[in-house]
Amino acid sequence: MYTLGVDVGSVSTNMVLVDYSGRVVEKHYIRTKGRPMEAVQAGFAMLREKYHDRQIMAVGATGSGRAIAAIQIGADIVKNEITAHAVASISTMPDVKTILEIGGQDSKIIIIRNGVVTDFAMNTVCAAGTGSFLDRQAERLDIPIEEFGEFALKATVPVRIAGRCAVFAESDMIHKQQLGYNTCDIIGGLCDALVRNYLSNVAKGKEILPAVIFQGGVAANRGIHRAFETALQMPITIPQHHEVMGAIGAAILAREKIQQEDRTTKFKGFSVSTSAFQSKSFICNGCTNQCEVVSVMENQKAVGFFGDRCEKWRNKVSARALN
Amino acid sequence: MKITIPHLGNVYIAVKILFDSLGLDYVIPPLNNREALLWGSKYSPEEICLPFKLMIGNYLAGIHEGADTVLLVGSCGPCRFGEYCELQMKILQQLGHKIDFIVLDPVKSIGLCELLHRMHRVGAYSKKTRMRKLQSLFMAYKAMTLLDDIEKEAHWRAGFEKKPGECKRLLNQCRNAVYSCNDPEKALALLQEYLETIQKIPVSPERNPIKISIIGEIYTVIEPFTNLYIEDVLMDMGISTSRHLTPSWWVKDMLLKTMRLNSRELLKASDEYLPLYIGGHARECIGEAVLAAEEGMDGAIQIFPMGCMPEIVSKAILPSISRQKNLPILTLVVDEMTGEAGYMTRIEAFTDLLERRRGHVYIGS
Repeated sequence: MYTLGVDVGSVSTNMVLVDYSGRVVEKHYIRTKGRPMEAVQAGFAMLREKYHDRQIMAVGATGSGRAIAAIQIGADIVKNEITAHAVASISTMPDVKTILEIGGQDSKIIIIRNGVVTDFAMNTVCAAGTGSFLDRQAERLDIPIEEFGEFALKATVPVRIAGRCAVFAESDMIHKQQLGYNTCDIIGGLCDALVRNYLSNVAKGKEILPAVIFQGGVAANRGIHRAFETALQMPITIPQHHEVMGAIGAAILAREKIQQEDRTTKFKGFSVSTSAFQSKSFICNGCTNQCEVVSVMENQKAVGFFGDRCEKWRNKVSARALN
Repeated sequence: MKITIPHLGNVYIAVKILFDSLGLDYVIPPLNNREALLWGSKYSPEEICLPFKLMIGNYLAGIHEGADTVLLVGSCGPCRFGEYCELQMKILQQLGHKIDFIVLDPVKSIGLCELLHRMHRVGAYSKKTRMRKLQSLFMAYKAMTLLDDIEKEAHWRAGFEKKPGECKRLLNQCRNAVYSCNDPEKALALLQEYLETIQKIPVSPERNPIKISIIGEIYTVIEPFTNLYIEDVLMDMGISTSRHLTPSWWVKDMLLKTMRLNSRELLKASDEYLPLYIGGHARECIGEAVLAAEEGMDGAIQIFPMGCMPEIVSKAILPSISRQKNLPILTLVVDEMTGEAGYMTRIEAFTDLLERRRGHVYIGS
């Protein structure tokens, strides 16, 4: 029996199957490309070939697209990514005190004491230093993103880059290139700048104590990893499944919930991969609130609504489910 | 004269009772919504605080329905709110609207004479007797206190209710019923009835829900549209919330300020961290955080609009209160660019944090 964790993020949609001992038996990393429902279906199509619906005992959803994914797959639990990440880290490293997490569009810091989250922060206004920014720079320098970190490690004299804002960082990088600086030194400087930005922006005022875990897609970048270690003057651990930690957390939470409530899963099955999903949004004119309502249709049947404050639309679905 | 007002939480209901009782011609603009924000942002300075923009949106909606006079309160500083009206008058004038502003500033700034004179400018249009006018004022104040009490009960009882969602349903029902009632006496009686009903909602006293104190800038904590209906969201999660700042508190505070008798408890609580006035309600925010810790709340959420100077100061002080009093505090900054997804994620993660701190694993979403 396995638990399935689905993390629908802005850049990637991750899926993991976790066995009873908490070991990851299968993981998939799919690009979301702005179409979360298709990404989930693509993942399910892959899982369907190897596993059977009956092998799944619980399903958890997390990430920015968690609400829609939960409706699509029939999740037992829908959790925010901060809690999911914390749960996954604590289960892989019980004495963790600080989690640095940098994903595709957001970065967070989670402070843990005695195995309990005591504080957290997310980036507010700026996306500098997150995965999509690095992606774009790698593309611009014509370096595969996987090798980006290696280039940074080769830097001898990292150039100082303005990392306050993604737009300024980019123009500063272009400027340094035009002056003829070595590409490795520029990339090294960029990693330093992003870490500086993270520490003074997201992690501002937070007490960073070891053991520190660094996770999220950007943790694969060895340049950033080294820059963090230099800036914080302490060793930083990167968990083996750093890119899918959110999904692992969702899977663990789903299993806990199913066990606690002692019931069977709401999982709809891997056949969801062949259903026709459609979502459309409209403005409800029922009152002056003018809510922006999104409806999700599966095979031309409405399966879920979001965004209605008065729950007029949401209740339509739950009423039907009762009949 | 056709009079209109900007929105602030439930104030419109009390104002409607006042105008109905005075027999004045009035327009209550539609509740704050995307349209108000759209028009407000379009005609306001980009860097001004969120309440300003929404108020402009309200005026424009009011003008669209024929209003020619705006009634609002002011404070003559020391934060930007105190001078809102000056800039708002200019903006509306530049847009070519001929509109009159009646600003009720505190006695301390303009003197009792001037305040009464300004109030008379509204009252002069009413054909009722002087006695009735006074009575109307009292009725409106009574309505406001009742509304605040009803809200307070509903927000607190949401954590204890036996039937999930009952508090929220009753609260919404109450607003609609009272607003659609055009007889001020009947409306007051309805409010009284609803207060009694809400006090009788079946609860499970043995439940121990998460309790959160809502603190911060007065407009954004009271006006649900600006804080993305945070109190409703928390009610849905079965969390009890309490909030000190209400419209009736504001009126009381303004009146008592002249005698320096206002909110003594709050100010005393804030003494240790912020012993002087720095404008807005920064001292109150600090005092509320300290009181929340002393009253055994699980956490506090501070909300303020982007660029609110007094609250930025209190934001810088809150971490030390959080450390010393062992009270988790989440700060949320709102403006027209606020993304709902990130906002909800923070609230959810914060409530998870509070649950898990209590020492048991919280699942359920």
